[in-house]
Amino acid sequence: MLKSIQEWVFLFIICSFSVLAGNWIGYEVMPLDAIPGLLVLVGISLLGLIIHKAIPYKKVPSIAYIGILAFIITIPGMPFQEKIVEWTSQVNLLAIATPILAYAGISIGRSWADFAKLGWKTIIIGMCVILGTYLGSAFVSEIILRIQGII
Amino acid sequence: MSDNAKSLWKDWRLHLLVFAIVVVTELIGTHQIPVGAGVILLLPMLYAVIIGIAVYFTPLVTDKMSKNAENLVFISVTLLIAKFGVQAGPALPQLIEAGPALMLQELGNLGTILIALPLAVILGLKREAIGMTHSIGREPNLALITDKYGLSSPEGRGVMAIYIFGTVFGSIFLGLISGFLATATPLHPYSFAMATGVGSGSMAAAALGPLVAAYPEMADTITAFSGASNLLTTVTGLYASIFIGLPLTEKLYKVLTRMRNQKTVDSNSKGAK
Repeated sequence: MLKSIQEWVFLFIICSFSVLAGNWIGYEVMPLDAIPGLLVLVGISLLGLIIHKAIPYKKVPSIAYIGILAFIITIPGMPFQEKIVEWTSQVNLLAIATPILAYAGISIGRSWADFAKLGWKTIIIGMCVILGTYLGSAFVSEIILRIQGII
Repeated sequence: MSDNAKSLWKDWRLHLLVFAIVVVTELIGTHQIPVGAGVILLLPMLYAVIIGIAVYFTPLVTDKMSKNAENLVFISVTLLIAKFGVQAGPALPQLIEAGPALMLQELGNLGTILIALPLAVILGLKREAIGMTHSIGREPNLALITDKYGLSSPEGRGVMAIYIFGTVFGSIFLGLISGFLATATPLHPYSFAMATGVGSGSMAAAALGPLVAAYPEMADTITAFSGASNLLTTVTGLYASIFIGLPLTEKLYKVLTRMRNQKTVDSNSKGAK
């Protein structure tokens, strides 16, 4: 357990360098301004991973703990809520997404040989699968949001 | 996934490479290509995934590094999920108000069955079509189909093909079309935000990025809706597949193949669509 936590901490520190750099270059937030918010995000993630590891029931994925935890502590009225929201707003979402997709790209490379073997029919159907899933949800949301008069 | 992740941090070449990719892609910055009524947004993360794939084929990246990178995707996605969460908390009143839409958009994911399944049948696919089009085909769906039909069955081959397609091309494709659809169609950015929970962290990030970049004044609410949608899909997505998606695909497949067979008999093209 301790070994895992140590490993996670190191990995989060490494990821943080990339996030801070991207946040600085792409979104002009000085690293010093972004560090408190990033520390909060790392803390939440770490806690979620620890909870997942500590609880024997594994059907709930660790990202569910992380998402719910981050959600609860920022509900208006929670202690330090305003500070947490203010700090984390300095960490741009896109600055987090870029390193994720850089790592994803490097790991995707291994699947390329399999991908190249797919036929043109699979490529077309695959695009329709993604399009259908995405547009389908957007369409349902649109209808309901309009009925409710939210948009 | 993270359990066997021992000493990943020592792979300094991988981390240095990713750091370099981040610096280079953020320096290139965001660019827009106007296409008809909409725009395609080219974001640093899109270049990052493409450069990532490209460097895999250079001697810079070993197979081991590529495997380590997969675990790092998981670790870095947790930061994104935490960011989703802290954006969602303050928006609690809005989330409650938009609750019905957030719940029901999950059913919209079944849109793949209505669009992709008929196409697969027209293209002449047999039971592979069921595995291919019953869902977006990420890990939980791969497990579901393997469990029900076996991985070497036609359905299993189908879901595997879409899994591979989505792994390689999913985030690039969504990253390209998400901004375009939001700017070119009359649908509201909030609706697209709720649609980003497709069942994969990197695909969600790729779909959300252009929305945030195209509508910065709505970024907070868009991120909150996206976060809630992702969380709901994580929790309920598989069950929607088991109880609605897969049975519906089976039924529609039977109807469509009957139509196709009839069509070949009396060569009436009406039934195809």
